[in-house]
Amino acid sequence: MRWRSGRELPVEARVTQSLLSPELLRRLEQVQLLAARRAKSSARGERRSRSRGQSVEFADYRNYSVGDDLRYLDWNLYGRLDRLFLKLYEEERELPVRLFLDASESMTFGDPVKFDFARQVAAAIGYVALCGFDRVSVLVFPDNPEDGAARSALRSVRGRRSAFALFNHLGALKAGGSAQLNPALHRGAVEARQPGLAVVLSDFLDPDGYEAGIGALLGRGFQVDCVHILAPEELSPTTFGDLRLIDAETGGHQEVTFGRYRLAAYRETVSRFCQRLREFCAVRGVNYFLASSATPLEDLLLRQLRKAEVLG
Amino acid sequence: MSFLTPAAFAFAAAIPVVVLFYLLKRKRVVKLVSSTLLWQKYLAETQASAPFQKLRHNWLLVLQILLLLALIFALARPYRAGQISGGRLLVAIVDASASMQSTDETPSRFERARREALELVDSLHDTDQMVVLLAAGHTEVKQSPTGNKSALRRALQGCAVTDAPTRLAEALKLAQPLVKDRIDAEIHLFSDGAAADLTDFEHEGLNVVYHRLGARAMNVGIVGLDVRAHPEEPARRALFASVANASTNPVQTELQVLFDDQLIETRLLELRPRETVPQVFAATQAKDGIFTARLAAPDDLLADNQASLVSLLPAPVRVLLVTRGNRFLERALATAPGVQLSVADDLVEGSDDFDVTVLDDVLPAVWPAGNTLAIRSANTNWVEVTGRAETPAIVDWRTTHPLLRFVNFDNVQLAETLTVKPPTWAVSLVDSSASPLILAGEAGRQRLIWIGFDTLQTTWPLRISFPIFIANAVAWLDPSATKAGQFQVRAGDPIRLTLAESLTNATVRLPDGSERALAIDPGARELVFGQTALQGIYRLDAGTNRFVVSANLLDAAETDTTPKPELKFGKYARIEATSTKRASLEWWRWLAASALAVLGFEWWFYHRRTA
Repeated sequence: MRWRSGRELPVEARVTQSLLSPELLRRLEQVQLLAARRAKSSARGERRSRSRGQSVEFADYRNYSVGDDLRYLDWNLYGRLDRLFLKLYEEERELPVRLFLDASESMTFGDPVKFDFARQVAAAIGYVALCGFDRVSVLVFPDNPEDGAARSALRSVRGRRSAFALFNHLGALKAGGSAQLNPALHRGAVEARQPGLAVVLSDFLDPDGYEAGIGALLGRGFQVDCVHILAPEELSPTTFGDLRLIDAETGGHQEVTFGRYRLAAYRETVSRFCQRLREFCAVRGVNYFLASSATPLEDLLLRQLRKAEVLG
Repeated sequence: MSFLTPAAFAFAAAIPVVVLFYLLKRKRVVKLVSSTLLWQKYLAETQASAPFQKLRHNWLLVLQILLLLALIFALARPYRAGQISGGRLLVAIVDASASMQSTDETPSRFERARREALELVDSLHDTDQMVVLLAAGHTEVKQSPTGNKSALRRALQGCAVTDAPTRLAEALKLAQPLVKDRIDAEIHLFSDGAAADLTDFEHEGLNVVYHRLGARAMNVGIVGLDVRAHPEEPARRALFASVANASTNPVQTELQVLFDDQLIETRLLELRPRETVPQVFAATQAKDGIFTARLAAPDDLLADNQASLVSLLPAPVRVLLVTRGNRFLERALATAPGVQLSVADDLVEGSDDFDVTVLDDVLPAVWPAGNTLAIRSANTNWVEVTGRAETPAIVDWRTTHPLLRFVNFDNVQLAETLTVKPPTWAVSLVDSSASPLILAGEAGRQRLIWIGFDTLQTTWPLRISFPIFIANAVAWLDPSATKAGQFQVRAGDPIRLTLAESLTNATVRLPDGSERALAIDPGARELVFGQTALQGIYRLDAGTNRFVVSANLLDAAETDTTPKPELKFGKYARIEATSTKRASLEWWRWLAASALAVLGFEWWFYHRRTA
């Protein structure tokens, strides 16, 4: 895979909603998604695949058999060896990139709001993928009939020209409802025609867990990256006292007496929760990134993801 | 078991409050969070949502109630009746004399003394007892021996400073029998030591703790004031004033003299350190009135900056000489100043209108009722004549008595004298080896001078001392002088006035303007008023009589406000001032306060841990 700098599009000029800054877009154009797996898509693209076909990348020779296209005969070899060999080239296919975007009620918390951050990450990864002529599917869960049009538009985006539409539709999304992470990931894995790259953007705060969903993606053959987004207040709460906590998604409540003395215990709980997810991912070869919604986008995309070789 | 302050059990109402705090459920702030997943179970508290919760078994609650009970019990001050093996006895003598008004201590020496005495009360043990004596012109027992601290505090709060001079010896004499034969008795003397009369007091091993008060002596005061006929201008009056500087710095001040509030003269005085300067002022006096001397110097002690004197116009002394013929005596009496002399050979009924009667070797038909000079003639009530003595030698005479001022008995020979037993009413002025020769004193209301020998049978009339003695005797016997003396008292001393008529009540106007009504026993011939703690002019209205009496400090020992580092008791004993006081300073208040602090900390810590 390589970066193609041709066919410049004035995309940044059209990004009216400032999901991503023009400067960031320029820098994102210089990177590409690195896939450890060969693309399996049936559509042509710019990713190396196991299929043989027309491209400039030489793959192998094979003996000529009757009916082969004479254009691919290696005449130089015939001249030397007096035998007919056919030159085979690698077929370049597209890489299906599926972005699982958590739009549950819990994502509406935080300052900055977690969902906004998740949208920005989705837009950035989507833009990198579109620049690399890959197909981008953004799967927003849970279902919300309010922004159905935007959601269906996001199911399949292809081509760099569609980046503007991608940003627009991402900007139109609304968050609400209970996450249902496992069913959403499972459905996304089943629905995919070809496996590819799956990026899960969520806070993973689902009482039912996330293991089954990620397992389903891996089972389908996806290369999975998890971006765990938490708000700064969730990492280190600033409200103390006798509290009656109401769960935004489930409506359940819990009464706690929370003070600075218990802050360390709370942090320990959060860190254990994150560590469990990290270990789950590490065992299965899934890239895991923990990001506070206040993390600068450049830091996550251009430093953390590059370091983990998700972007290159 | 009984309780000293059972009212403290009212604090038991705090126990239900503590329980209520435990029953009350905390009010919680509702907060919407993204998920309760992060708030693990152990952070949560399982409590009902009702405002009250069921009282759970809580050791903290039990301990707090126990602590509260113990505190309430302690506050109720339980006690049991029992026998104690005697505690200490402390006698607190608080000096309330004029010098204690000095403001070199804040706010004054007396207030500081009171504060220190109150500290001493605080340090008393349960078994200790204390007596409070207030020493000023007279010693007042403010509190008899008790261990009741509130009574002692009340007694000390009731003490007030006076303008009177100190009589510490009187207070110590009063304290002496209390502490006698008690090893654990202490006398605590709160004073500045400005008292002159302690050399007469024998120490006798008293356990005296001297709490010295006062920081400096910055004081100028009037220590003497007297008015007499002017020695050079008989028509005018001479006012003698003494001004003392107690400080160790030279002082410049103005001395004003007023007569009935009219300024007569102002004189600028420059006083060297610790100097006493006499001043004489001449003034014309047309009527009875009040001379006032006033110092303008601002100093630590204001009480001695003013003194007043009631001055009565001198009246001639009417003297009746009853004699069979004595030219020396007659001449001597005639030349005595202000004397209107009448001579008779016997005393008859109705001759009471003489001020002084002189009996010269006669036995009168009636004995005089007024002041009398009796020469070799005596009423049996006065002296008991035991015999005669031939040519008695004069061995001693009392030069300090006013009668013998400038009188000398050198070269005086006597042929014969009566011998008498010294009577109780008189002091002997001149003594021979056999008998007192001249006696003087007051018998009843009568001033008497008794001479045991016939002056014509001595060489005394030939000496210059004879007319001087006669002049002194007339001055001493003059009832108007006695009367004038009645109108001047020391602050703190009682005013005693002879009443001419029978009265039942009188009113006194004090220097501060307040008025007191006095009830007088019918038939009493004397009016006594004792509340003279304030110096100044006292005006008495008794029937038709109007009396004006001046009460003054006029005490050099009080004016010298130098704090004495030691007190001299008797001839040899010295008591040094203590800088540190022996006291048992109680801890229980601090312990109780720290118990409360611990309780408060425990609450804070509990909330910090759970919050």
